[in-house]
Amino acid sequence: MAADPRIESYAAALFEVATGEGSLETVEDELFKVARTIEGSDDLRSTLTDENIPLERRLGVVADVFRTAHPTTMALVSFVVAANRTRDLPAIIDRLVERAAAERSEVVAEVRVAIELTDDQRRRLADALSTRTGRRVSVKVVRDPSVLGGVLAQVEDLVIDGTVRSRLNQLRETL
Amino acid sequence: MRTRRVLAGLLLALSAALVPATVAWAQAEGEDHDISHAAEECIHVLEDGGEPEDCHESPSPILPELHEIVWGIISFTVVFFLLSKFAYPAIKKSMEDRTNRIRENLDDAERTRSEAQQILDDYQRQLAEARNEANRVIEEARQTAEQLRRDLIQRAEGEAAELRQRVQEEIRLAQERATADLRSRVAELAVDLAERVVERNLDRDTNLALVESFIEQVGAQR
Repeated sequence: MAADPRIESYAAALFEVATGEGSLETVEDELFKVARTIEGSDDLRSTLTDENIPLERRLGVVADVFRTAHPTTMALVSFVVAANRTRDLPAIIDRLVERAAAERSEVVAEVRVAIELTDDQRRRLADALSTRTGRRVSVKVVRDPSVLGGVLAQVEDLVIDGTVRSRLNQLRETL
Repeated sequence: MRTRRVLAGLLLALSAALVPATVAWAQAEGEDHDISHAAEECIHVLEDGGEPEDCHESPSPILPELHEIVWGIISFTVVFFLLSKFAYPAIKKSMEDRTNRIRENLDDAERTRSEAQQILDDYQRQLAEARNEANRVIEEARQTAEQLRRDLIQRAEGEAAELRQRVQEEIRLAQERATADLRSRVAELAVDLAERVVERNLDRDTNLALVESFIEQVGAQR
């Protein structure tokens, strides 16, 4: 499905800025986490998309929530919020991540886990997914306590669910 | 006709009255003549030297005197002539009329009886037909009632069987629903319980082990 031209334009602009700043990999990871955070929080999403709230306050919320992020990441998120495109921010970031991965001849693998993974685990997980898909994989980890344990990995249309939640759901269906 | 009858009756009464009178008159005149004749006879007897007792000969108690017989025949002839001339035709005519009237009455009675018999026969026939019709209607009604009774019984049995089957089906479905619901609740409880147990016991090391297991499984599949 063809992407929205505006989303594509914003993603291209953010990609160029991050590349120009020389912090694409870091900004890419942080923006991915920002997108998942906004998707997972209704309050944060409704606050940032409410145009009745003064822009300064919404930018203050961004600065407060993502205060530990890279300055470039903060600047890009603030730019999108100021442009009143907060609703499209997750899609813009996803497109940016895909674009960055494509630049590296990789595909994005969204991995959901209940705990933080070590760099070694990330690398071995990327290798395993690359072996499985036959393509180089860029792993984007999302910490999601709802999976309880294990890993949920999605590479394009391929979904590999090895979570405890899925096991419990299977048990529920079986019973 | 009526006048002739009256006249015949009067003649008959006159004859009845005249004959005894004539006979009586003839008898009285005969007695006087007999007395003189007896006296004359007695004179002759006495003149012939007879006794007075020989003069006292009594008349015959059986045979009338000759003149009585003559007057009786004449009276009878006159009366017979009058009766045959006037009374007999009227009486005959009256008898014939009476006979005819009686015959007509008898014919009328016979005709009336025949008509009554015919009416009676018709009535009895109609009564028999009505009775047969009533019996036929009653029989048809009885058969209809019997058929209706059988139909109602059959329908009631069918409805009862259908109701019983439906109730059994509803009971079976209710049991299945209850069983499924119970199974679902039990499964839900078991899964919730398992989830709590997992959450409580799924520490970081176990989680890391799950991640490692996932990496190995994914890496082993191509």
